Amino acid sequence: MGVVMPIKAEKEKGVAGGTAPGLSRGPGETTDMALFVRTSQEDMTGWNRQRIVDALLRETYIDKDTAERISIDVEQTIASGKVQAITGPLVRELVNAKLLDLGLEQARRMHTRLGVPLYDVDQLLVHPNKENANVPHGPEATNMTLAEGIKKEYALLHVFSPDVADAHLNGDLHMHDLGFIDRPYCSGQSLEYIKKFGLNLPHALSMAKPAKHAEVLLAHMVKFAAALQSHFAGAIGWDAVNLFYAPYLENLTDREVHQLAQMLIFEFSQQAVARGGQAIFSDINIYWEVPKHFENVPAIGPCGKYTGKTYGEYEKHAQRFAWALFDVYKEGDACGRPFFFPKPLVHITEKFFKTEGHMDFLHHICDVAADKGNTYFVFDRGETAKISECCRLSFKLDASDLEDAKKPWRMRYSALQNITINLPRVALLADGDDTALFSLLTDRIMLAVKGHEQKRKFIEKLMAHGENGPLSLLAMKLDGEEYLRLHRCTYLVGMVGLNELIRIHKGGELHQSDDAMKFGLKVIAHMNLMCRKMSEEAGMRFVLEQTPAESTAYRFAKLDLAQFGAPVREVLQGDMERGEIYYTNSTLFNVGTTMSPIERVQREGLFHPLIEAGSLTHIWLGEAQPDKKALADFVINVFRYTENDQVAFSPEFTACLDCNRTSRGLVEKCVYCDSKHVDGITRITGYFTKTSSWNKGKIGELRDRYRNRNRFSQVGSKES
Amino acid sequence: MTLFTKEDCVLCDRLKGRFDLAAMDVVVEVLDDRNSGALAHLAWHSLVETARKTLPVLVLDDCTSVAEFSVIERHLAQRASAYGVAFHVAAAGVNCEGDSCSFN
Amino acid sequence: MPGIKGFLETSFVDWPGRVCAVLFLGGCNLRCPFCHNHPLVLDQESFPACGLEEVMARLARSRQWLGGICVSGGEPTLDPALPGMLSRLKEDGWAVKLDTNGTRPQVLRSLFRAGLVDTVAMDVKAPLVQEKYDRLAGTPVDLEQIRESIRLIGDSGLDHEFRMTVVPGFHVEEDVSLWAETLDKFSGEPPSRLTVQNFNPRSTLDPELMEVIPFPPEVFLRFRNRAHPVEKCVA
Repeated sequence: MGVVMPIKAEKEKGVAGGTAPGLSRGPGETTDMALFVRTSQEDMTGWNRQRIVDALLRETYIDKDTAERISIDVEQTIASGKVQAITGPLVRELVNAKLLDLGLEQARRMHTRLGVPLYDVDQLLVHPNKENANVPHGPEATNMTLAEGIKKEYALLHVFSPDVADAHLNGDLHMHDLGFIDRPYCSGQSLEYIKKFGLNLPHALSMAKPAKHAEVLLAHMVKFAAALQSHFAGAIGWDAVNLFYAPYLENLTDREVHQLAQMLIFEFSQQAVARGGQAIFSDINIYWEVPKHFENVPAIGPCGKYTGKTYGEYEKHAQRFAWALFDVYKEGDACGRPFFFPKPLVHITEKFFKTEGHMDFLHHICDVAADKGNTYFVFDRGETAKISECCRLSFKLDASDLEDAKKPWRMRYSALQNITINLPRVALLADGDDTALFSLLTDRIMLAVKGHEQKRKFIEKLMAHGENGPLSLLAMKLDGEEYLRLHRCTYLVGMVGLNELIRIHKGGELHQSDDAMKFGLKVIAHMNLMCRKMSEEAGMRFVLEQTPAESTAYRFAKLDLAQFGAPVREVLQGDMERGEIYYTNSTLFNVGTTMSPIERVQREGLFHPLIEAGSLTHIWLGEAQPDKKALADFVINVFRYTENDQVAFSPEFTACLDCNRTSRGLVEKCVYCDSKHVDGITRITGYFTKTSSWNKGKIGELRDRYRNRNRFSQVGSKES
Repeated sequence: MTLFTKEDCVLCDRLKGRFDLAAMDVVVEVLDDRNSGALAHLAWHSLVETARKTLPVLVLDDCTSVAEFSVIERHLAQRASAYGVAFHVAAAGVNCEGDSCSFN
Repeated sequence: MPGIKGFLETSFVDWPGRVCAVLFLGGCNLRCPFCHNHPLVLDQESFPACGLEEVMARLARSRQWLGGICVSGGEPTLDPALPGMLSRLKEDGWAVKLDTNGTRPQVLRSLFRAGLVDTVAMDVKAPLVQEKYDRLAGTPVDLEQIRESIRLIGDSGLDHEFRMTVVPGFHVEEDVSLWAETLDKFSGEPPSRLTVQNFNPRSTLDPELMEVIPFPPEVFLRFRNRAHPVEKCVA
């Protein structure tokens, strides 16, 4: 097995051609069929009409007389002899049919059952899932798919109000990870929590004291990450990993530190054996310097005891570990392939440039970026301290966070949910009118806010049960405060297809003119200010994020094409004939346009400060292998001359499954042994994965990506 | 020239008091929670991070920018002279109180 | 018509240690079967030339990002406009790297003398053995000229590198050793180095080579190691 499956992948299949938009996976189709096998004859003899009445009175608001009437009707249908074998689900459906006959739609919704058609389950369990190849196949994976299906229906029927649910179903917006309705979205934390408290999880069979040895700390970290993965939908991030490890490294040789780095990376990259057969979508944040807010913080060392030193005194050991981690990234896995997880995010700050050895380290991480692509360069300019936790989600630490920094185990952050707005749809409906466009955009944000409030209420309800409730891990109070600090949660508002919004509303693409750029900035500025205003009103923190939109960009495109036809066809990206269509992600430029990386980081970067929960510019490298010093130069310039938030360089690889060699570039067959049994590997959105698992929209994007080749396409640049 | 300002910003007000900005052909953008145009304009000049730290910010005709208050005053004084527009002499140092002089 | 036939605004691969822009000039006097830029060699007429001033105006916007401009090809020394073009670049203060196959030492000499080049990369095809060189260049080559270029570059005092693409069926490891020895004869400053590149079968001038499988990584490493003594003397 070993198929790495990022947990952020969404299960949306989009809309099958011909069916009503957005409803193919909606409540209508999947709830109305019997899921369970027929009950035995004994159950029939135990038939009791009263049970129908009881259920109707318990679950709906209808009156007793109506309930009685319905139960008698249903009993007659059964008694009429048409029904050969009676099952609980069938009875329920018969009752629902009666409710529908009587026009009691609200009662029917409340009385409906959630489940999956027999046919779907058979398809899922027995046949390889071609349509949705990014779900690894296996008992755990199918468990998760089934559970997600039911929870998603539950969410749409029961957690969210009909207007919010409908907006999701028809593609006005997209609520991410609905199948994980009973969890927050993503989580960022500090190693200090397990260093101080050990591994002491509610209801665990055993409790571990704080680790004495570095390897044990690693074991705790991995286990805790797995526990968190089963309580969050998305990324699990770790702050300043190399620094917080440092007190455990004092007596370790370089060889041992290297070994530890290797264990850490392999542990996280091979965790595709737990929840749903997915790897833990993990981020590790790395600093070359000791961040200012940790400098004078007393360091916790072996056994959870203070070492008597501050973190400022552990700079060298933290650096040793950072260096070793990148040594391991550079080597790649046993076949020389890049590690998909954990993603290393290196923070480039003013202090970075004042810290001894920074140029060597910069060259080292650029070497990895050029060779394997792993490195994410996160730019924290000025005196702002930031923590990155999700794909590209980062938070600026405010005064209260900096207070927390004195006790770093308290530093844990979560975005509770992510809702993405379909921008091209807004333009389609606005019909060229600016006022209509901004007013529709406002409506969408209000609806997203409503969705967020509903999710928050739901999670609050679960959390209210405390350590004996359904979210016991998040309710644990080892430091006096619940692990999930709900009052500090963030609520993400994302966007897809600014480029297509511009094409529809203005003609021409976002990158093509200054006017288009200025209008695009106005759209995002409007969204930014709306979030500010709503945050103040609701007392919740709404922040814009560049949605990774791995499948949302495809889903929106398909829904809009079905609903609007021609005007959408003109602006869609991808290959219509192959069905490989997509909207451009977030505020990115057309991925295929010939644009120098310099221009791309500058111009895309103009949006980044408005998107406060994080943004990223991709530089697609194709097969070219850049020079590490050239990349380092470039990275420094991005820091100095732009407001760009984050940059990643994405090379492409072909891994041969026969000869186990890995070559540069995406090719049909192995360049070394001619085998066609190969896997393409490159970055899909915010992480590396195998291209065979990509949805059609992303495959379309992959074909289009501009890989910094010569301006005249026929002419290759000189790399070989 | 464009001057990015904010309501209730002591330093912004001081400039508005000293100079007849309209007569000097200086566009004044007022940043607030409703003005997405001004924020977009700010982003266009890559000045969002700057404005979050300090206001006012002046964008010169060559698209370079100045955030240091005394330098802004000097530029505006030169501009006023060039346009033949009268202006008030600088009063004794006004300081920003609290963090009112930034777009946060 | 020669001229700027291709233009890459940002390259991370063409100038070791620097981000540079690349100008591709059309036309070449060699027919190396493994060449990837063959449209510029065989079919340059079909590419419209773009004006130097237009290109320079574009590059001016990225001035602070770029460490220089690399002039490549084709074979740029064939273009009579090359000296003028380089002067224009130098006039604007750009650092210039020249890619050449070394068949026209007289052009190199005058460019070096005029101070128009800061860094030079020479593609060598094989050890200086007539039959071998001709085979890899796809045409008879005057090795005296090649030797002359190597001497010129080695003694130029400029940053420079020699590059050789190794092709299965054409090259053996000893070829790299021979080269290492050739370069050892120069003790100039900065020292000469040889960079070995693995053959890449995608889009080659001779379509038959597209079927050739490159050296497996472990074999290529042996080629690399033969060049190593040369690479090692780079501080």
